Amino acid sequence: MLSLLDIAERMQRGPKMDENVWNMGLFQKMNELTERYQLFYPKDAPVFNLDWDIADRAFRAAIDFLVETGIYCASTSRVIQLSEDEVLSTIKGMPKEVTVGEGRDARVLKQRRLEEREQLNHCPGHHAPFTEELAPLVVKNFAQIPTADYLEGINFPEVDGREIFGMPLEVYAAKREATWMRQGVTKAGRPGLAIAYYPINTRASVLIAPIDREAGLRPSDGILLSVLPDVKVEQNLLTAAIVYEEYGGFKLNGNGGGRVGGFAGALGGALIEGIVAVLTGWIVYRDIACWGAISTGAGVDSTKELSLRTLDVWATSVWSQALHRHTNYILFMGAGGRSGPGCENHLLEVASKAVTIPINGANVHITRQSRARMNASQSPLDAEFAYEVATAVMRAGLTRDTASDLVLKIGEKLKGRVPEAPYHDIREFYDLVHHRPLPEFEKAYLKVKEEIASLGLSFE
Amino acid sequence: MANESEVRGAFDNLKDAILKYDVDAAKRAAQVIVDKGMEPMLAIKEAVAGATGILHERFDRGECFLPHLVMAGDAMMAAGEILESAVPKESIPAKKVVVIGTVEADLHAVGKNIVAMILRSGGFEVHDLGVDVKSSTFINRAKETKADIIALSCLMTTTRPYQREVLEDLESMGLRDSFKVIVGGGPITPEWAKEIGADGYGADALEGLATAKRLAGIEA
Repeated sequence: MLSLLDIAERMQRGPKMDENVWNMGLFQKMNELTERYQLFYPKDAPVFNLDWDIADRAFRAAIDFLVETGIYCASTSRVIQLSEDEVLSTIKGMPKEVTVGEGRDARVLKQRRLEEREQLNHCPGHHAPFTEELAPLVVKNFAQIPTADYLEGINFPEVDGREIFGMPLEVYAAKREATWMRQGVTKAGRPGLAIAYYPINTRASVLIAPIDREAGLRPSDGILLSVLPDVKVEQNLLTAAIVYEEYGGFKLNGNGGGRVGGFAGALGGALIEGIVAVLTGWIVYRDIACWGAISTGAGVDSTKELSLRTLDVWATSVWSQALHRHTNYILFMGAGGRSGPGCENHLLEVASKAVTIPINGANVHITRQSRARMNASQSPLDAEFAYEVATAVMRAGLTRDTASDLVLKIGEKLKGRVPEAPYHDIREFYDLVHHRPLPEFEKAYLKVKEEIASLGLSFE
Repeated sequence: MANESEVRGAFDNLKDAILKYDVDAAKRAAQVIVDKGMEPMLAIKEAVAGATGILHERFDRGECFLPHLVMAGDAMMAAGEILESAVPKESIPAKKVVVIGTVEADLHAVGKNIVAMILRSGGFEVHDLGVDVKSSTFINRAKETKADIIALSCLMTTTRPYQREVLEDLESMGLRDSFKVIVGGGPITPEWAKEIGADGYGADALEGLATAKRLAGIEA
């Protein structure tokens, strides 16, 4: 199994390559692998993939990519080369489960089996900007969600009334973020709830700054260290990964998926890139979990054609099946949408995504508007609704085959809708003092819940 | 002298070659235009710009991807060199130059890459400085390349101040009027662009292209 120090050495000594050459080489290799393994969207494809063989081929294509092409270090413009034995033995070293948090708030994150009814892990909130006066109260509200297993950090433009600008203030802000998060979860009566630090930015000093057993990140907390698009990694993040590997702390990859249209090219390339990105997160940073999807960009956009959204669902199901069948990797999937939180449209988008989560063996990740805005990107109720829908799908015993109908029916409900209320301040629709939605939002929630229930899901 | 239908056919061949990302065919088509005494600058305006419009529509619809923009850009450049060689240098309008990158302490590249490719295929000479780019690097490179526009991307609320830093540094160096500055990225709004004194803003790549063209005085 490759160590992080092995990776660090190869970042410095691998063959030099211009980034543009890497980008275009990536495209060619993805096309070649797509052909080699016949990774095409089948005619009359079901909503979720029912063919294990294509998932296995996609995984094999990802291994071939890593062995034949490697991983690009954007800091040194060098290629990290890997042998097949190294890749496979390192993948085998993935843990089956990870305990996060402390005391009675400790939780086990683990890979769920496809279509099974095991309890879902839940990260309900954050990865979004909030102002400093609101942050601790927002954190408290998300920590009050009983199903929360961990919370991701927040982003904010000012600390102690000063703009975060320049490394000293960035380091200070990184420490304060962890402190506010800890205060927030403590106020909610869950002092041991795990926090995953959302980096203020990507300098190594800023990534490492929140380490503090008393008031900041504990060894049972985590950090987001994401692989860059186009199978690129970089040195600040590896530096932090090495430090956290010794200190403790779980690491998360926020870019585990693939996107059609980038240098990976079409759907087959995006699918391979998505699997490679997950494996790279483990190999280079020791990320144990990720959230992501294979996306045409339509998956969270209610204005796009239904056919495009189902293409995303199919490709994402192949991606998750490949990872479940060949690794221990823990998958999370977000259930956000393009509409802003606090409205009917957003809740429908949430439902449409949440249905797919248990079918793909994933856990529920942050329910957030796709383009985050200050104090306006998420609410506890959206997150709870995503979890409710995902749990109802499991309770109904839906499978890849039988859940398809539900995805299509919710898709029909979204058809023709225009994203609404994109930038409502959370306080306009959610009472953070009493931890409950304001009446109008509650009405919309109950209406959408009833609509979803009428499609065959039962809510407790 | 070629007749109108021959001219149309030659221009269509060039446009098709670009849309097939075929550098050799684009060169051949451009050479035919030059050899037959057709107007090279009209070919650039009609065939090359026409292909660009179609490409951008395809990209917007998800029918072509970043690598296709790179390859089409290569075909356009190769054809453009041949066409421009046939006219006096002084009659060729200088290419507008953009220096683009993601600001300091921010590693997000996807949006920036798309904008860079769209600008390049839209006829700009683009110098992509990558991610985590310091203000001094933006400004030095803009000076070296005699850039018209500096394009600043960021995807984190906490890295937005580094966009403003570039504008402040330009101001303090007495260079603010030398370059137009456009900003974009996930947390960027028109209000932020206005607040920091940027010249333009793009909500997405095509809007960024339109803004860049407007600022560079290129007809849309």
